[in-house]
Amino acid sequence: MLASRPLLAFALAFLAAPALGQGPVTVIAVPPLTTPDTKNSGTDSPLAVAYQASDLIASDLRSTAELVAIPPSQKDYYSYPEVTAPSFSKWRARGAKLLLTGFVRARPDGRLTFGCYAYDVQTGRELGRKGFAVDPDDWRRAAHKCSGVAYTAATGAPGIFDTRVAYVAETGVATARVRRVAVMDSDGTAQSYVTAGDTIVLTPRLSPKAESLAYVSYLGGQPRVRVVDLDSGEQRPLVAVEAMTFAPRYSPDGNRILFAMQLGPNTDVYVVNAGGGPPQRLTNAPGIDTDASFSPDSSRIVFESDRSGSQQLYLMGADGSGQHRISFGGGWYAAPAWSPDGEWIAFVRRVPGFGLRIGVMKPDGSGERLLTAGPSDESPSWAASGQELLFQRTGPDGRSSLYRISLLGGEPRQMTTPQDASDPDWSGTLD
Amino acid sequence: MRRALLLLALVSTAASAQLPGLRRRAPAPPAPVLMGIDALRADFIARTGSDKVYFGGDSSGLTPQATATLSAQAQWLRQHPEVVVRIEGHADPSDTRDHALAVGARRAEEVRNYLILMGVPPAQLSSVSWGKERVAVQGSSAEALALNRRVVTVLVR
Repeated sequence: MLASRPLLAFALAFLAAPALGQGPVTVIAVPPLTTPDTKNSGTDSPLAVAYQASDLIASDLRSTAELVAIPPSQKDYYSYPEVTAPSFSKWRARGAKLLLTGFVRARPDGRLTFGCYAYDVQTGRELGRKGFAVDPDDWRRAAHKCSGVAYTAATGAPGIFDTRVAYVAETGVATARVRRVAVMDSDGTAQSYVTAGDTIVLTPRLSPKAESLAYVSYLGGQPRVRVVDLDSGEQRPLVAVEAMTFAPRYSPDGNRILFAMQLGPNTDVYVVNAGGGPPQRLTNAPGIDTDASFSPDSSRIVFESDRSGSQQLYLMGADGSGQHRISFGGGWYAAPAWSPDGEWIAFVRRVPGFGLRIGVMKPDGSGERLLTAGPSDESPSWAASGQELLFQRTGPDGRSSLYRISLLGGEPRQMTTPQDASDPDWSGTLD
Repeated sequence: MRRALLLLALVSTAASAQLPGLRRRAPAPPAPVLMGIDALRADFIARTGSDKVYFGGDSSGLTPQATATLSAQAQWLRQHPEVVVRIEGHADPSDTRDHALAVGARRAEEVRNYLILMGVPPAQLSSVSWGKERVAVQGSSAEALALNRRVVTVLVR
């Protein structure tokens, strides 16, 4: 990978120029990627891939709340040397603040090299670059990485395009739904099903790099967490117990899994190594403690508990120490999820008469904001950027689909799935 | 694609209809054991008043009406020691998914404990929570929500 060194250099440079990300919407020019291999114009030539990739990049950036793309147009085609020496005056005149250039080049080993560069159009300064070699079949991932360069230049946050989404695909009538765990790329392609639909399944949760997935299955008659390796398809129970286990969530490094286990009238939070071993109990208050989520540095855990008589959010140390309540806004708070940048905790708020709505608060409980209007919004899951959430919205007919909402507010935007969808989980950026 | 999906749905519906304990069943083949349990189920409901008890919002406390029903269920179960039941706890769809699972389990546990207190041998009883995954009545009206906050005593065999 050419990527790591220039990226690091870029991150340092960006701190000195934070002004770009401050407007609500940034206009970015995305002229078509170029190629030095202009002689070859077949359907899988670098030139053809460059055009397809440019369209995908524009589509990626259109899906965000922060960027508006001037779409690729053949009249804006530039030569290979102009990738790193573009004409800024032209884009300044068209109102662009950012410019994304790049190239696709054939390698002797049959793979393709992608290079992408983001520039501040006003100053002509480079804001970021990324380069890598991919198999021709993986051109979509390379394009998503280029979209990430543009997104990071505009917002300072990690790219959200080379990511995967797990969810529960639902078919059939409301009283007898067939549900399957599904996984797809976040652009809606590469759909696959992890379970067959013969057993009710709930709450799939991806490991940070989407290599494995934990979910709840009624296999064996009792809801229990199972873990599946997405490469091999191999599955196993998370812990070998008769009791009901649920609400799994991976630690940010993917090495541990938080979950809830019900024993008698009591439900508590436990943690176990993702590879197996004895679980460690973290809470023991009477009542229902569940839906635990690590802080990005894994030092703290947010969870929900009804120990006070109603569902509220609590923080504790990673070892279960220092449990204290952080939600005091009235009503019930549930399903907390800690943002990948550590700044926010997303939650579902239950207010009688208003139903279920998605909101965020700071980890100390301050700065609470409701982001959606409800009345049946739940299962918030963070984008890798920490700038938006994916959630499930259920209609009055009981059918549900996936929506994205930006922290900046605005209307939620639907994420397309082939069937009804619930319980979404959005992975971190893949390597 | 569409045809394949439809087929899958049909196959899995058929499969789940064969699971013991599901209340909605395909017309029973003339197997005496199955006829037996259908007759037992009818008798159970006729003599105990109901196979369901209902709960207040976010509560797993048994109402006087629920304890009356459960006392009758316990008496019937003591008279039929060969019958095994599964106690299925449900929450209403205004709850969040995971909390609903735990609440359903807590309600099922409450009912199980009461039946044991009333003299039913624990070996006759199993329990499971369906959370808010098996809605009995669609809608968000107070009545619809109340009808979903339930525990169902399902005769398994």
